[in-house]
Amino acid sequence: MSVAGDTSQTIVVAGGSLAGHTVVAELDRRGFTGDVVWVRGPEGTAPYSRPALSKELIQGKVTRDTIRLPVPERYGLRLRVLDHAVCARLDPDADRVLVTRTAGAGEEWIPFDALFVCTGMRARVPAAFTGLPGVHCLRTLADAERIKERLAGRPRTVVVGAGLIGSEMAASLRSCGLPVELVVQGRLPMEPVFGAELGRFCLDRHHAHGVTTRLGATVTGLSAAGPRGPVTLTYDDGERTSADLVVLGLGAVTSCDWLDGGGLDLSDGLGCDAALRTARPNVFAAGDVANWWHPVFGRRMRVEHWSNASAQARHAVESWSAAQEGREPAPFADVPYFWSDQYGLKYQMVGHAHGHDEVRVERTGADGHPFVTYFRAGRVVAAAGVNAPRAVMRMKARIQSEGMTTQGVYAG
Amino acid sequence: MKITVDRNLCDGNGVCMGIAPDVFDIDDDLTLHIADEIPDDPEVHAQVRQSVTSCPVLALTLVE
Ligand SMILES: Cc1cc2nc3c(=O)[nH]c(=O)nc-3n(C[C@H](O)[C@H](O)[C@H](O)COP(=O)(O)OP(=O)(O)OC[C@H]3O[C@@H](n4cnc5c(N)ncnc54)[C@H](O)[C@@H]3O)c2cc1C
Ligand code: SF4
Repeated sequence: MSVAGDTSQTIVVAGGSLAGHTVVAELDRRGFTGDVVWVRGPEGTAPYSRPALSKELIQGKVTRDTIRLPVPERYGLRLRVLDHAVCARLDPDADRVLVTRTAGAGEEWIPFDALFVCTGMRARVPAAFTGLPGVHCLRTLADAERIKERLAGRPRTVVVGAGLIGSEMAASLRSCGLPVELVVQGRLPMEPVFGAELGRFCLDRHHAHGVTTRLGATVTGLSAAGPRGPVTLTYDDGERTSADLVVLGLGAVTSCDWLDGGGLDLSDGLGCDAALRTARPNVFAAGDVANWWHPVFGRRMRVEHWSNASAQARHAVESWSAAQEGREPAPFADVPYFWSDQYGLKYQMVGHAHGHDEVRVERTGADGHPFVTYFRAGRVVAAAGVNAPRAVMRMKARIQSEGMTTQGVYAG
Repeated sequence: MKITVDRNLCDGNGVCMGIAPDVFDIDDDLTLHIADEIPDDPEVHAQVRQSVTSCPVLALTLVE
């Protein structure tokens, strides 16, 4: 580990969630002696565990106080924390960012020696579905608390979208004993992530727990009867139903529009090289926003999962530190990993299944849950299981080591 | 080096085991086991430190 920087340097960290939090913690661990300005975004909350929102928080097992990440007060850094503040612009001609307040007024240009972009994502909500009472997306603590507040009235709920968050929300609401309908745009829940086998398994679990599902359906219209009145949903086949609460799980979009005009690659998130460096040598990216070249899979990717954000944040700091010392930084080569909790079962996946040409399904554990291995050109590229952490983590190590010894084999 | 786990937080996802397999093990009923003795090997110590910071629910604490 190298102690980095000097007292005259300023580092700006944009984003107040896991990636930004980890960059700050890593600068602290390395004993950075300059100034750190941490622009935490519009949420106005200390960093917290986002994954807990759709799981423990909705089910009332934790509160906003127990899901906080360790607080910055313990840092030894010269740290300035800006809440209710966003980075609004990157000067194309100078190393400075415009920071504006989202509560109250005011803006200032902050010059930097290095900038870490950790601005992540926000929920994707079609314009026509915005601002309707009884219709909520789920990305932030405020979103989750708004939904939670509605649950006391025991609403009939429709969850629109059956990706990770939609599927998890349906399970959590059902576990609270609420009537839930899940609208699946494709054939099976979570199929785009997990494939058909685990998608089918997930669908069966929903049915076994009493969730009704609407498969292959798209919601084309939403309208609300009033602040507490029911919401009417219109589907692509013309059918209409009503619900007391609608939760939208339609995915997320990257928050990097503020970098527009700053001379960076914004074609899908913020484009970086293998070491998380952007086209500007002192601007780095980490977390959901970062689109980087993965040396194991031989392709560009962006990973929207928790562990990736903290690992990339540490790596981005290492890449910055390497630049300070004139070293060449290593590529960020972690194999992606995520989990999802539904009805007391833990789904886990490692690797990158994109472009796989073969799957192998086994049964694991006493309950015979499916364990799926994904291959590309005869090599393992991903694996997923239910309540099988040992097998999943073994595969993670295997993909990592095989990929690193045969770089490029997975490419294409 | 000693590690403690908050059992109320640990959800048995096994991320720590993936990083430091000589120290952490996990059952398929999602219970975490930590080795009594941590090998006196700098590489293992580095793995343990990485596990502590990588635990997605921040259940691990390091007592150096
Ligand atoms: C409900 C839910 C459940 C999830 N469950 C899981 C799970 O089970 N497993 C898993 O692996 N992953 C899960 N995820 C994904 C995981 O939470 C993300 O991968 C992770 O939060 C990414 O962290 P990040 O710091 O990169 O970005 P984000 O968490 O998106 O944070 C971005 C931060 O930047 C701030 N910001 C935005 N714009 C600006 C700006 N212009 N200037 C300054 N700040 C700005 C935002 O306010 C926010 O603080 C879940 C996500 C959600 C929403
Ligand atoms: S990484 Fe954390 S939550 Fe996961 S098994 Fe280890 S201690 Fe438990």
